Amino acid sequence: MKPELTKTTRRSFLKTTGVIAGATTLGLPQIVSPRVFGANNRITLGHIGVGGMGGFHLREMVKRMGSGEVNIAAVCDADEKRLANAWKTAGAQAEVYRDYRYLIQRKDIDAVVIGTPDHWHAVQMVHAAECGKHVYVEKPACCTIEEGKAMIAAATANKVSVQVGSQGRSQPEAYAAHRYIASGMLGKVNKVTCWHYPSPSDDKPVADSAPPPELDWDLWLGPLAWRPYNARYCHGTFRWIMESGGGQIRDRGAHVMSNAMYFMNADHTGPATIEAKGTVPAKGLWDSAMEMEVTYQFKNPDWTLVWSQPGEKIPYFDETRKKKEGIRDGYGAVYHGDKDKLIVWVGDNQVYTEPKAVEFASKPGGVDVYKSPGHHDDWFNGIKTGKKTIMNIEAAVAVSNLTVLGNMSLILDRKLKWDHAKSEIIGDTEAHRMMSRPQRYPYVL
Amino acid sequence: MNAKELIEQIKNGDDKVRGAAWQAAGNAGSTAVRGLAELMFTGEQEVARAAKRALWKIVRYAGRPAGGDETKAVAKELVPLLASGDPNVRREFVWMLSEIGDIHAAPMIALLLNNPNLREDARAALQRIPGDTSLRSLKVALKNGAEDHKPAIAESLRVRGEKVKDFPNQKLVPRKQTAVKNPLAV
Repeated sequence: MKPELTKTTRRSFLKTTGVIAGATTLGLPQIVSPRVFGANNRITLGHIGVGGMGGFHLREMVKRMGSGEVNIAAVCDADEKRLANAWKTAGAQAEVYRDYRYLIQRKDIDAVVIGTPDHWHAVQMVHAAECGKHVYVEKPACCTIEEGKAMIAAATANKVSVQVGSQGRSQPEAYAAHRYIASGMLGKVNKVTCWHYPSPSDDKPVADSAPPPELDWDLWLGPLAWRPYNARYCHGTFRWIMESGGGQIRDRGAHVMSNAMYFMNADHTGPATIEAKGTVPAKGLWDSAMEMEVTYQFKNPDWTLVWSQPGEKIPYFDETRKKKEGIRDGYGAVYHGDKDKLIVWVGDNQVYTEPKAVEFASKPGGVDVYKSPGHHDDWFNGIKTGKKTIMNIEAAVAVSNLTVLGNMSLILDRKLKWDHAKSEIIGDTEAHRMMSRPQRYPYVL
Repeated sequence: MNAKELIEQIKNGDDKVRGAAWQAAGNAGSTAVRGLAELMFTGEQEVARAAKRALWKIVRYAGRPAGGDETKAVAKELVPLLASGDPNVRREFVWMLSEIGDIHAAPMIALLLNNPNLREDARAALQRIPGDTSLRSLKVALKNGAEDHKPAIAESLRVRGEKVKDFPNQKLVPRKQTAVKNPLAV
């Protein structure tokens, strides 16, 4: 089939993919005032949470420090071993802090990179914004509906640029897939099905104990209700606990479903209903679903998004490339249109799609979509020009809400109804109350 | 599954039996609350954990839109359990009651504002439970409570829509110093 590229208008694209007005693909609106930095245009950074993905971001920014793009003025972590290691990575010019509030109150720091566990994202992002800092915060944006609202409000009120770490949108083949779908090559897309391998269970639970001496347990818990330390909480295993990590859906769902919402031009929309089923571990501390399926029904326009653990895995088609590039095809999504379908593999720092979309994207003319220069660079552009980032806070909260609502439907064992315009659950008092969870003082929004 | 069957299965030594039991516990109802709570206080680690999860299932099932008075019945069983015992277990009951949102639980929860181990959980619950009783409890605590807890109480009152002049929010006040020494120092 030959595409009639020049005849595909934005209006027809919106109709094809079922998009609500307000979302744009090319011209991301300006949200903050462009900021004047020093003569060298160098951005001064502070890093909060420097293990795991936080460590990855720190190493990336150290590379940019060499080219004069950034200066790393401070690193911070509740784990002093991690902090000492981060200091070695960042260099002697950086100050070190256990408490992020020292860092965000420094006048010389322009922006912060937050790589802490999920339950800290909202509080630290809001506090940083209130101190006038631009923010890169790891995904998922939030753990509750109310946290997401507070994040949007703080970014707007303080006119700061926020990028959330669903970096799949910034990958080259994500651009190809997006452009292919936006050009109407699939026809009307009415269903997106995601697959992802299951979350683990803890087969060797341990008793509560004293925290290791290097860890400030109170600070690690932060906004969460107090409880004794257990070695199964952290570090990376926080992911398998519902309140701090939310399981695979909140981790990789914030990648794979981020791409789905972006490609469907649905960032400013939300589902009408959410229904989840799943199985959770029979024992141990970890309580997020091992296997689960969540169905999100969008209305006006109608389309369905399905998150499945494990779902139907589709192996990447090119074994040679898979081995060479280490393609992790344990997760991805299929976009089902009334004319054709498209497979998109992985979704985070790797995104791969079918040759028909990659080759299509290289042709001139036709509908085009925004091409990110890279996730960090897109954020820097946002800081310097005031334009919205590709994974801006409104878009990120909409994606996080999918994961939050999916988990909520699972633990309540019932279908939920969602009013996206009001950002609230309707017809269920208990679920409505669960949209927020009071935080432990002083770690409050 | 009735309450007696549920309790027996939660006590079972086989993870699979316990796991299946707590995951199906939702409709066991308020009559299972006390037995499960007892296991939370006295059971070995995984039995206590299974009992806790069964009780959460009951709370959440009772709160469904068609649940009628079931939430009140569950709350009525939970409230006396706040009085004594391991605070790490009682903390769960406080949060369950906060999710149920039963206004009659507020006075008993308010008593926990004087308990150093549970006062933050109690404050959070009173912030969350609707109605005048929970609000009044917070106001009394702001007047008569522990001085070092008043900023937290004030914050809850602000979340509830009250204007509180004193005790400004301390959320941005740094407190914790690192002991890390510069590893790059010569």
